[in-house]
Amino acid sequence: MEFPVIFWGVLVWMISWGVIGSIVTRRIYLRKDLDTSSTGMVGAMLGASTGPVGLVPLWMKTPQITNKMMAFPALASVGVFMIAFALADPNNLCVVSGSFVASQISNGIIIGIIYGFMALGLTLIFSILGVVSFAHGEFYMIGGMITYFVTTVWFPEITPLFGIGIACVSTFILGAVFERLFLTPMYTGKIGRPVEYGILITFGLAFTLQYFVQAVVGANPVKAKRFFDFPRVRLPSSADPWLIKTSRGNLELFDTISISNPRLTAAVMCILVFIALMYFLHKTWTGKALRAVSQDREAAAIAGINPDKMNMLAFALGSMIAALAGAMLVQAFSWLPQVGAIPAMRSFVIVVLGGLGSIPGAFLGGVIVGLVEAAGTGCIPNAQQAASYIPAYGMIVLILTLLLRPTGLFGRKYSSGTHGNV
Amino acid sequence: MIELDVKDLNKRFGGLHVLKGVSFNIKGPELIGLIGPNGAGKTTLTNVLDGAIKPNSGTVYLNNERIDQLQPFEVAKAGLGRTFQVTRSFRRMTVLENLYVPALALGTGHNRAEIHEKSMEVLEFLTMEHLRNEFAQALSGGQQKLLELGRLLMLNPQVIILDEPFAGVHPSLMKIIYRYIERVNDQGTAIILISHQMDSIFSLCNRLLVLNYGDLIADGHPEEIKADPAVIEAYLGVDEDDVVEVQA
Amino acid sequence: MMNKVHAPQLIGLVLVIFFTLFPFVYSGNDYPYIMHIFITGFFYAILASSWSMLAGYAGQFSFGHLGFMGIGAYTAALFSHYFYLSPEPTNFCTEFSLGDSYLIILNPIGVTSSTLAQDCLKQAMEVWNGSVQVSPMPVWLGIVLGTLMGGFFGLLVGYLVLPLRAAYLALFTLGFAEILRAVISAEISITRGQAGIELRHMFENGITLFGRYYAQTDKLPPYFVMFFLLLLCLAILALLARSKFGLFVRALREDQDAAAALGVNTTRYKVLVFVVTSMMAAGAGATMAYYIGIVSPNNIVILQMSLVVAMAVIGGVENFAAAAIGAIFLEFMLEMLRNSFQIGPVVVDMTTWRLVIFGILLMLTLRFSPKGLLIPAIEYFTRGHVAKETVAKRGGESMDDASGVEGEN
Repeated sequence: MEFPVIFWGVLVWMISWGVIGSIVTRRIYLRKDLDTSSTGMVGAMLGASTGPVGLVPLWMKTPQITNKMMAFPALASVGVFMIAFALADPNNLCVVSGSFVASQISNGIIIGIIYGFMALGLTLIFSILGVVSFAHGEFYMIGGMITYFVTTVWFPEITPLFGIGIACVSTFILGAVFERLFLTPMYTGKIGRPVEYGILITFGLAFTLQYFVQAVVGANPVKAKRFFDFPRVRLPSSADPWLIKTSRGNLELFDTISISNPRLTAAVMCILVFIALMYFLHKTWTGKALRAVSQDREAAAIAGINPDKMNMLAFALGSMIAALAGAMLVQAFSWLPQVGAIPAMRSFVIVVLGGLGSIPGAFLGGVIVGLVEAAGTGCIPNAQQAASYIPAYGMIVLILTLLLRPTGLFGRKYSSGTHGNV
Repeated sequence: MIELDVKDLNKRFGGLHVLKGVSFNIKGPELIGLIGPNGAGKTTLTNVLDGAIKPNSGTVYLNNERIDQLQPFEVAKAGLGRTFQVTRSFRRMTVLENLYVPALALGTGHNRAEIHEKSMEVLEFLTMEHLRNEFAQALSGGQQKLLELGRLLMLNPQVIILDEPFAGVHPSLMKIIYRYIERVNDQGTAIILISHQMDSIFSLCNRLLVLNYGDLIADGHPEEIKADPAVIEAYLGVDEDDVVEVQA
Repeated sequence: MMNKVHAPQLIGLVLVIFFTLFPFVYSGNDYPYIMHIFITGFFYAILASSWSMLAGYAGQFSFGHLGFMGIGAYTAALFSHYFYLSPEPTNFCTEFSLGDSYLIILNPIGVTSSTLAQDCLKQAMEVWNGSVQVSPMPVWLGIVLGTLMGGFFGLLVGYLVLPLRAAYLALFTLGFAEILRAVISAEISITRGQAGIELRHMFENGITLFGRYYAQTDKLPPYFVMFFLLLLCLAILALLARSKFGLFVRALREDQDAAAALGVNTTRYKVLVFVVTSMMAAGAGATMAYYIGIVSPNNIVILQMSLVVAMAVIGGVENFAAAAIGAIFLEFMLEMLRNSFQIGPVVVDMTTWRLVIFGILLMLTLRFSPKGLLIPAIEYFTRGHVAKETVAKRGGESMDDASGVEGEN
């Protein structure tokens, strides 16, 4: 970075005004008897982006806070941050090359969709069982591993969909069995402190699964080859395909945005499965039963739904979703038994950001995290440094969320069994 | 002389205006009943007095000390204690330990032996001294309720708020709670009693506060309250004969 | 009755005596190896017992504990690597005069080949050519600083997690440890990233105890340092548990809001328990760093945290002595299971399989013996008489059993 002073100086300014904005705005709204539920976040964002210039009018007029009012300052803060970065490091690839930025953004969105999908599984498990599954990342890893072995090692002749299918079925069964053996006691009252037990037992499962796979498969990285080749597309004409140009492994849009095959197919697959999932949840009896249990366990039980069966289904389904994400990405990334840890963390961050129990929140959160990571890795020229910081970006998002808006973007506060006592 | 002065408390939750300018004053060891329909704001009022929630506006003074902006533990130390609707004992600690906690928290320099003695006194009064080393979670629901009352006593409070102490309670246990309330009041503690048990309220209390969806619609002697038309309409119910007339 | 109640204390005493005498009595060929296992065992015991105070006793399930250990270790390492005392100024490095000497601060050059870029001290040494004696920072100071730094971060984290419950607290603290590891790995110029930082050994020039000389490589002195540290931590934890601190943090665990309504300053105690336990973890980390001689970010990975959690849980997460014993025992087991063996044509690589066994043991213990494997035994001895007394009293009562509320609460 050429002028680190600019960057760090602006950052300190933003943080200070953000803190002032958050605290003072809340006080002022409280004194005027107005609703203070979002003042923290709006005050912080407005302070960070506009400093006193935006805050003072807010304090004088104290308008009603709407969703739009929350979005603008947040975007403005991001904008100010980006401008500061651009001024501080004018030779950075992110600042100079528009096509690079466009590529990063689209890749960020695409991978964000996949992250969001995986987070969806986690939010499903939480909203029905009330448990944050710390083993989510390991199901992701297992999904990838099984797919690799089926498609590349054992049955390379059969379509990859077979491998993906096997991975899904096996992890579904694994999830169901685990739930029956280890999670059911949480609901039959045998466990004194179910929340802590849930954390510890899934933590233990994660540990066991990871090392089991390592013991069986070894610690060498594996990678599946590309599942589906792109058809050859040249638009608008063969000679000058500036709109869309595909090769077998890549898609290029507008001559600038380059999207790799594995990621695109993964994202598309995730969207398709998501649509199927939505259909399942809203149009079938079992799906509706699941949603009922997620809203109020005991009420659902009175209505004749067996919450325990729903638990098993939810955990199996949620874990299967993680496995599916892994199954799709094993063609894109190098796979190791350790590969599940970071996606697990990322899923947690997304779920907190989007709001525990919220499906649109999971996707929006996923996209945001995807963009943040793309920016973080793309704009730091030192590749090794950039790679090391990846887990940190998620954590920064987590910390900001917990400080500013703990319920997340779309969250509801309670999971199904708790009746208000989280 | 104990004085709890509540002025103009307002509390909103988003669009919901739960407390609308509630004001009342307590002097000395009164035994006051706080009644009103469900959702009227009684527990919210308790939470505001206790410090768990901060009011949007208004003030609360306890013995000329302002307490509405204090943290719950500071309010407890200042002399205002409360129970919860759902009993919240420290389940994996023994009964004695449950009683030690508030006494130690008060921090008035009593040593362990004195605190132990006082705890035993309280337990004897509640006829629970044989349970002193049991974990709280091994107690029956009724015993846990008694334990909660006992814990309050250890705070040497000036004012206590009892949130539905009679809810779902066996008659013989109710007698003990009744005795507890009377005795504590005799010893000089002001008590605000929230309950739907009208018999107990009318016999114990010589003053009633009636809360109706945020508004304090009545404050006075039970006999006046019983006859107050606003209260009857809001809460106590209409006479049977009138109902029959309407149906005809 | 007396004997039964005090059985756990007696067993504890026996264990202390055993560990004190062991180094003098054992004379097998694998002496250094066994001693090393015990030292590592004590290290994990400090981590497990302090974590059990934080998680089991106070109910704060933090997964950042290894992060504090890392802070202690890295503070000691950075301090030991970058600071020196010299009677003469180098004129190459940043330095401050401190009485008669100069405090020299090395410039951060990261991981380099030594012939290409030398640090400023090496350059100065070349000039002096052996005429000036430069002394590194004392070991005990490094450990103290590491511990204090750990306490500072414990304070910070304690405040940050105040409004967080259960799963959020676990996630946040996990994230804290991850950020720490990321920063350490990434800032290669200062921390040398994955290559790690070397430290001078705890007893670089050996030490003479009671007439016998122990060289740098002798395991006995570090063994007793670590053992002493463990006993110190256990003593502090025991004192805290017995005091009102212990009562308050348990009340905090049981019901934070009810405790606050009863006058407990929950903020203060929540933060305090973080500070105390993180200082212990940091102190252990700093001491271990001087023993092993090198720190790297790979010590702060999830594997280590999982091991500590497993040890505490299997020993007994609500009793720090049980956690400590569990840690030593499991560390021993881990090492014993290290050797691979062959069943027919299949080579079973135990280095990984033993971890799998560990994980399964953790899950089974949680599921079937949630209080751990040691606590039920302890409780049998100390609380057995309570039930009898209650039943006896109840039998002689006139009042119908005191259950006054329909249904369980």
